[in-house]
Amino acid sequence: MKDKLVYLCIGIALTVLFFVFNEDIYEAMYYSVAFNNGLHNYDVYTPITIITILMAWGGAAVYYYAINSVRWDRWWHWLVMLAVVVLLTPIICYIVNVRMFNENGISMAAEAASFEFFNLVVTAVLFVIASFSMRWWSTNCRHTPIPQ
Amino acid sequence: MRLFLFAIGGTGSRVLKSLIMLSAAGVRPVDENGRPVPNVEIVPVIIDPHKSNEDLKRTEALLTTYRSLRERLYGNAVNADGFFATRFVTLKEIMSEGTIQLNDTFIFNLGAVEREKFRDFIGYDTMNEANQALTSLLFADYQLENKMNIGFVGSPNIGSVALNEIKDSDEFKAFANVFNQGDRIFFISSIFGGTGAAGFPIMVKNIRQAKNLEINNRDVLRKAPIGGLTVLPYFNIEHNDDHRIDKADFIVKTQSALYYYKDTMTGANDSNLNAIFYVGDQEVSKPYAYDPGEHGQRNRAHLVEMVGALAPLKFAGMPLNRLSDPDGFPLQTSAFEFALDKDERDINFLTLRATTRRLVYDPMVRFHLLFLYLRTGFRDQVGQGFTEDAPKIKSDFLNSQFYRTLTDDFMRAYVDWLVEMHDNNRSVSLFSLGETDMNRAINAVGTRKSLLGRKNVDNNVFKAEMNRLSRDARYSEHTVEFKLLDLFNRAAQRIVNERYEGIN
Repeated sequence: MKDKLVYLCIGIALTVLFFVFNEDIYEAMYYSVAFNNGLHNYDVYTPITIITILMAWGGAAVYYYAINSVRWDRWWHWLVMLAVVVLLTPIICYIVNVRMFNENGISMAAEAASFEFFNLVVTAVLFVIASFSMRWWSTNCRHTPIPQ
Repeated sequence: MRLFLFAIGGTGSRVLKSLIMLSAAGVRPVDENGRPVPNVEIVPVIIDPHKSNEDLKRTEALLTTYRSLRERLYGNAVNADGFFATRFVTLKEIMSEGTIQLNDTFIFNLGAVEREKFRDFIGYDTMNEANQALTSLLFADYQLENKMNIGFVGSPNIGSVALNEIKDSDEFKAFANVFNQGDRIFFISSIFGGTGAAGFPIMVKNIRQAKNLEINNRDVLRKAPIGGLTVLPYFNIEHNDDHRIDKADFIVKTQSALYYYKDTMTGANDSNLNAIFYVGDQEVSKPYAYDPGEHGQRNRAHLVEMVGALAPLKFAGMPLNRLSDPDGFPLQTSAFEFALDKDERDINFLTLRATTRRLVYDPMVRFHLLFLYLRTGFRDQVGQGFTEDAPKIKSDFLNSQFYRTLTDDFMRAYVDWLVEMHDNNRSVSLFSLGETDMNRAINAVGTRKSLLGRKNVDNNVFKAEMNRLSRDARYSEHTVEFKLLDLFNRAAQRIVNERYEGIN
């Protein structure tokens, strides 16, 4: 029980760190002066970060506690969920990003798409962190993707 | 409490086999309030000179298998809950080191009885002419020529002489020495054959007259609570011109023996037995092959044997004050009979009366579901879910001695037992044989109705329930064998209650 809480705390801590240092992390992964200035100036980083966190943790929660089925307890089922979250999150973030830029008269669709490609990696990492933070209490999927 | 269970003759072995099956399912002695009686340990002792009897061999093999499985599950613990809960031990296992040397077997060594012709056994050739004439009056020629390693071929007059030697045997002395205050004795025998009909009263007489024997525990032994299952005629045999065993004699033999039992064991003035259980069936069974013993005697299992197996459990659960007076002497013999709820030829759980059903339904259903699960689902689930919790059940478990003994040996015998009872008359059809769909596995009992049809029971339902139980339980101190069977038992308890129609 203690070990499991440690995993959860570590996962939350890493996620909080990502939230706090979101700009630095994103810019380390993808940097284009005009585009990143736009994200910063119009405060697009925050909603993108929140969406990414919510999608990763929400997706993991759905898998481990809503689906939570013996028919969906193999590693490839988890991988399907990861793929869904990893594909869906950048699309939503892209739409939010483009819409916020448009409201401010900026059009950087190509850069936004490239940025979201890297956000895809961030989402995958966060989904893994969320999975290993919360899976221990799942009835049927706690050993997915890797047995305890 | 130790229950010394003497299974005498072929019927004794067959009833004992049913008891093993019920015990494997987790049927246990319960007290009058339906609570399991703690600390019960059964010491089965098979008494039968007919060592090549197939029923005896099957029962002994099953006992050995049961013992090895149980040991792996619970070690030497007397109390357990679930499958294979009741502990069966040999006399050798419980006796202290001493001068008596016994084999570690459930079979009573009858010494010379098993080797000699009856005429040699009684020294016929050394008798004077008058004694030979008297002996010839009491015993037919074929009885004198009977080689007793095939039993007493339906002749209790042989058995009553030959088995009288038992009291001098090492096994009897060992039994007498380990018998303690609080232990009980139970006999299983038929009344219409040779070995059981003769052996039962002789054993009771020897125990009640223990004060005359050169053994320890004489006082404790002669006051021991003794119960007996007397199996009345219940099976038919094929016609044969050799009339050593004849179905026409069954009723006459039974009547004579009952009178004798009344005079010596159960009568108002001769209550040497504390309790006696009678079971039989006038419904004619499918005829068994005529075999006085030469061909091994392998008879199909029968409802009467399964019902009979409940008798020692009932006896073990009876309060002492219903058996003995405050000084420990037997009260007037309590007699019990068995009745079905409906007089039908096809027996399912609904045909049994409520008291029997309450005792056997849940454990038997759980065990049958275990059988189906091990056969159809478990192998594919290794490496998933609950099997990954500590201690992990890995794929090599499927090749372990325990798993192979359970699935190859014990479960095969279980299926044979079910099939034999099903193919007999009455036909015991508690489960749909050959049906692997758990929803339809229990005859006359379906799954409960739900909003969308009926509730489902399959291997995934069990997996989910075991996943839940395993998450909340701690098995890391236990063996994988215990974990698997305990988890399944607990899962099945819930699933049977929640998903199958309630009949209790």
